[in-house]
Amino acid sequence: MARRLLCAALCAALLLPAGVAAPPAPRPPQAAPPDAAPRAALSERVVAYQIDARLDAQKKIITATETLTYRNLTGQPQQTFPFHLYLNGFQPESTFYREIRRFGSRGPWEEKNRGGIEVKSLEVAGQGNLTSAIEFIQPDDGNPKDKTVFQVRLPKALAPGASVEFRMAFQSKLPETVARTGYKGDFIFAAQWFPKVGVWWRGAWNCHQFHATTEFFADFGTYDVKLTVPQNYVVGSSGDEVSSVANPDGTKTLTLRGQDIHDFAWTADPNYRVVEDSWKGSAGPVKIRVLMQPDHESQAARYINALKGTLDRFDRWYGPYPYNRITVVDPARGSAAGGMEYPTLFTAGTFFLMPAGLRLPELVVEHEFGHQYWYGMVASNEFEDAWLDEGINSYTEVKIMDSLFGSKTSAINLWGITLGDSDFQRLTYTFAPDTDPMVRSGWQFMTGNAYGGVTYGKTATVLLTLEGLIGEETLRRAVRTYFMRYRFTHPTEEDFLKTVEEISGQNLRWYFDQAVYGTQVLDYSVDRILSDPVDWFAAKLEEKKGVTLYRSHVVVRRLGEFIFPVEVEIKFDNGETIREKWDGQDRWTRFSYEKKAKVVSATVDPGRKIPLDRNLFNNSATREPDPAATRKLTNVWRVLVQILAQALAWLA
Amino acid sequence: MEMETPTRGVLATGARLVLRGWRVLSWAYVVNLLLGIVAALPVAATISEILNHSLEAGRLAKGFDLGAFFGLLMQPEVTLSTFVPGSFLVSLLYLVFMLFLTGGLLADYRHDQRLSFSAFLDACGTFFWRFVRLLLFLLLALVPVGLLHALFQYVTSKRIENSPRDSVAFWVTLSGLAVVALLFFVIRLWFDVAQIRAVAENERKIRHALGKSFRVTFGNFGSLFWIFLRIAIVALLVSAAAAWFFVKVLRPEQVGVTIVYCQVFVFFWLTIRFWLRACETVWYQRKFPAPVAFAEAPILPGPAESEPLSLPARHSRLLPMRRLYSSASPPKMM
Repeated sequence: MARRLLCAALCAALLLPAGVAAPPAPRPPQAAPPDAAPRAALSERVVAYQIDARLDAQKKIITATETLTYRNLTGQPQQTFPFHLYLNGFQPESTFYREIRRFGSRGPWEEKNRGGIEVKSLEVAGQGNLTSAIEFIQPDDGNPKDKTVFQVRLPKALAPGASVEFRMAFQSKLPETVARTGYKGDFIFAAQWFPKVGVWWRGAWNCHQFHATTEFFADFGTYDVKLTVPQNYVVGSSGDEVSSVANPDGTKTLTLRGQDIHDFAWTADPNYRVVEDSWKGSAGPVKIRVLMQPDHESQAARYINALKGTLDRFDRWYGPYPYNRITVVDPARGSAAGGMEYPTLFTAGTFFLMPAGLRLPELVVEHEFGHQYWYGMVASNEFEDAWLDEGINSYTEVKIMDSLFGSKTSAINLWGITLGDSDFQRLTYTFAPDTDPMVRSGWQFMTGNAYGGVTYGKTATVLLTLEGLIGEETLRRAVRTYFMRYRFTHPTEEDFLKTVEEISGQNLRWYFDQAVYGTQVLDYSVDRILSDPVDWFAAKLEEKKGVTLYRSHVVVRRLGEFIFPVEVEIKFDNGETIREKWDGQDRWTRFSYEKKAKVVSATVDPGRKIPLDRNLFNNSATREPDPAATRKLTNVWRVLVQILAQALAWLA
Repeated sequence: MEMETPTRGVLATGARLVLRGWRVLSWAYVVNLLLGIVAALPVAATISEILNHSLEAGRLAKGFDLGAFFGLLMQPEVTLSTFVPGSFLVSLLYLVFMLFLTGGLLADYRHDQRLSFSAFLDACGTFFWRFVRLLLFLLLALVPVGLLHALFQYVTSKRIENSPRDSVAFWVTLSGLAVVALLFFVIRLWFDVAQIRAVAENERKIRHALGKSFRVTFGNFGSLFWIFLRIAIVALLVSAAAAWFFVKVLRPEQVGVTIVYCQVFVFFWLTIRFWLRACETVWYQRKFPAPVAFAEAPILPGPAESEPLSLPARHSRLLPMRRLYSSASPPKMM
């Protein structure tokens, strides 16, 4: 209790100086309870799921009953309720597969990849059996073959503030992993495996079909899950393990409880090796549980170290982690289930010979843990505002990876080859810089690559550029405020943007309009530099350094449509450096000087504060060429060709 | 005729032959380098426009920043699709060049003294088309290896796919590739011997040469493979050391030194191939020495009518070679 008060006081102290208004639904950070006992609510707990499920490990089928208690906090009567059946996306005529084909995938359909949920019966307490009232709907694309959303109309409307109990019996067929869901051999990753009610949001039901690029959106609540699996299976889940009972038929039944979460995923695999650790944050101790594949056991330390470093920085920079556990799942080889987040549980991924300098395990741990904040707690709509989750998460990923491993080497530092995570994000953005605005719904992007490039890479780069405008520390405070204010709610994009403006005290609409709502490309270049003797017409002109007077010009151009104020640094051969500012409003500008020195170089954005600039090579120009890089790369190409030629010559 | 220990000292003797024929090795290297330069010219011309006046290029000169590198690749001027075909064509040209060179090289290695330049060229020309035919047979012989690899992948894929262990998949895949590589080198040994035999016996019937050399190779596989294995180990050890030095000692900004270092490495790999050729030739010479009457004939400098080629009498149809080695003027040393 003392810890709770301390945390609340700390948070208040951090927020008040920034002039932060009180959160809409204040929920002081809670110290993590030591066990799975019921605790004070962190969220509104709109839903309460009770699921009793049994896994047929041979057939990969889950047979279950579900009781969903829904609290009507919408402020108005509700009579029609939509439900997600995400697993039905894994059927060839679904919208999910239509979009995958549209994006260019041409692989054949394989029956093993079929998944689905069949609702055997649906009863509503006090209103009878409504199985026959189930109606599949397709709110996004009208594809009648898509069965990822159904709705049911109750005979009697649910009054505001009242609760309703849905009782369902269903069977879920897991696919061989598709979209990081399903099975691979004995490995089971059960995600989106049960019927899940939609979200009443912005005055309407929000229950989108499952799309190739979109993720999920759900209300917070509690999950009480009884799970029966073979006794030799090791289980990890979004809930605390309350009990485990061995059954005479060789199975065991686990009782799992998750609170203040909006989804419940679980994994089971007889091959898991369990590695445990703990970390203590401002909200209390956190139990770290890592489920490793046998071949990767030696790399558990990499996961754990990365996770602790990430927990530490999230705790200090953005806010406390209120749950008492986090489970890292190392998925089975070939399962393609790595790199996915669910409440208090996420999948990572590595390779048994992964070199230390290749920081993919650390990167994926950092990224997926980050979702605990930007998806798990700040539960924005991943269908419509995916950038609020993936993008902000990619930005915090850069900050934390840079802090852990250095900005130039945070992704790769291997054999002299380096890559910073910020550059990695920037690269993904430059693949598709102008196809779609960040605010577009996930399934409406031009391609899957455009979705990824904009949602992850562009958002991270937009926020890194924003740092240059308002300062790194200010943006960190803004992101923290956003987290503290909107955790356990469903904020919108404007909630985030307004928070940034509020904390920075600046009107940033000009920037957001272009970067967030627009598709303008930012590209500045140094077009030319020249120094001409003032006495160029003299009959016997002798140029002497430090004596001859030169008239120098530097021309800077704005090649893209994105207008952004820039700094230009001009260096002269007498060692003098001048910094100029240009508002970028015109298409070009010229800086002119008369000095007894020639211009050596000119650089747009010398402080590298504008990573959003698509082409960094044209940001500078030097008077004298430096062919070192050309020589180096040409040498690489030459040597590769020589080796290829010699390899072919083995046929001679 | 067979000697008892054809492999004793064969590596050293082979190395001496490579040293003796350093001019041929140098030519092979120079052509390799020139073709590499030709292939790299369009690359240099394109990227110099982007890099030479940009401070951003420092990220590539002073290290190897992948962010900058991919940034460069994304420039519209830089299109790998225009560079790759030219480079591949250049590599094919080198294959043709080496096909041409091999006849002279083997003829040179099997003699006690260096061949004259004209004799060397004559041997190159004499055996070129035979070796082209051998190349076609080699490609045919490699087809079953490819099929075997496909079969191996098919058989192991299920096991790999269902194994939860990376290591199983990794080692099984690696083993498959190792077997394929081994088979390739075994077949290459066979064809190497066929080439040596074609030169030694002035064999025109390539299929005949292949059949004979098959029996020779696999009848003496242990000793031949032992030669190959030792050279391969030297090559791998030196390569590992070179890679370590490159990564740990050479600084990224030492561009000039790196260029020279890479060329030394390329030259080393070429030397390895020449060394193997020389050792195989020495082994063959010891295993199947030429008749004394021919073998003792002086080669260089020799009288105008000397007949240095140690051919059995049955190969008296050796018109080009006879002309080759019966030059009236003293041969020029290579």
